[in-house]
Amino acid sequence: MEIDVLTFGQITDIIKETKLKISGAENTDELIKLLENNYPALQSNKYSIAVNKKIIQENTQLQHQDTVAILPPFSGG
Amino acid sequence: MEEKRGHTIFIDGPINPGFIAEAIAKHSHKKNIGAHSIFLGQVRSDKIGNEEVAAIEYTTYREMAEEKFHDIREDAFKKFSIICMHIYHSLGIVKAGEISLFVFTSSIHRKDAIDTCEAIVERIKKEVPVWGKEIFTNENSQWKTNT
Repeated sequence: MEIDVLTFGQITDIIKETKLKISGAENTDELIKLLENNYPALQSNKYSIAVNKKIIQENTQLQHQDTVAILPPFSGG
Repeated sequence: MEEKRGHTIFIDGPINPGFIAEAIAKHSHKKNIGAHSIFLGQVRSDKIGNEEVAAIEYTTYREMAEEKFHDIREDAFKKFSIICMHIYHSLGIVKAGEISLFVFTSSIHRKDAIDTCEAIVERIKKEVPVWGKEIFTNENSQWKTNT
């Protein structure tokens, strides 16, 4: 199972890619753990998670080809 | 999409004051309107240490932002008695002193236009995935935080 991960703002500065493919994560908790292991600087950053453009509040099951966005605090306007 | 009642557009670079004037002029034929309310966000030259903000570079998660703008617009029409509304937000570089956000609401009586405009601006700040990077006069940068 493969997930598309999108990064923005400060998170892109850490991960150095705007889009990456991750396999081996069944749900968002597993995905975050995997990302935080690979990019420890993520742990000290605030971010929220959107699965297929919807912000989630709790661990969410992932399907093949879901898009998970790692969103730092918004600062538009 | 409710294109006939208003629209949301990302604009590349600053929002030109002439564009705002034209947007107002376009409503002169809608003679049931009695009030417009306009919010303009301008890039502020904050001082941090010895450096000043020279510009903000805006980026977005466009697909999600467009859905969110759509929800905000739908909710505004449900909750408030307005005739039309328009939202424009800059992407890319906007220099200090230039306009980066333009929210324009119109209604029969003033309170509806004013309340809707305020509610929309608050929701944009909280809910729309846009990020501003402050670029300083010495070309260093930092990510903006909304207060």
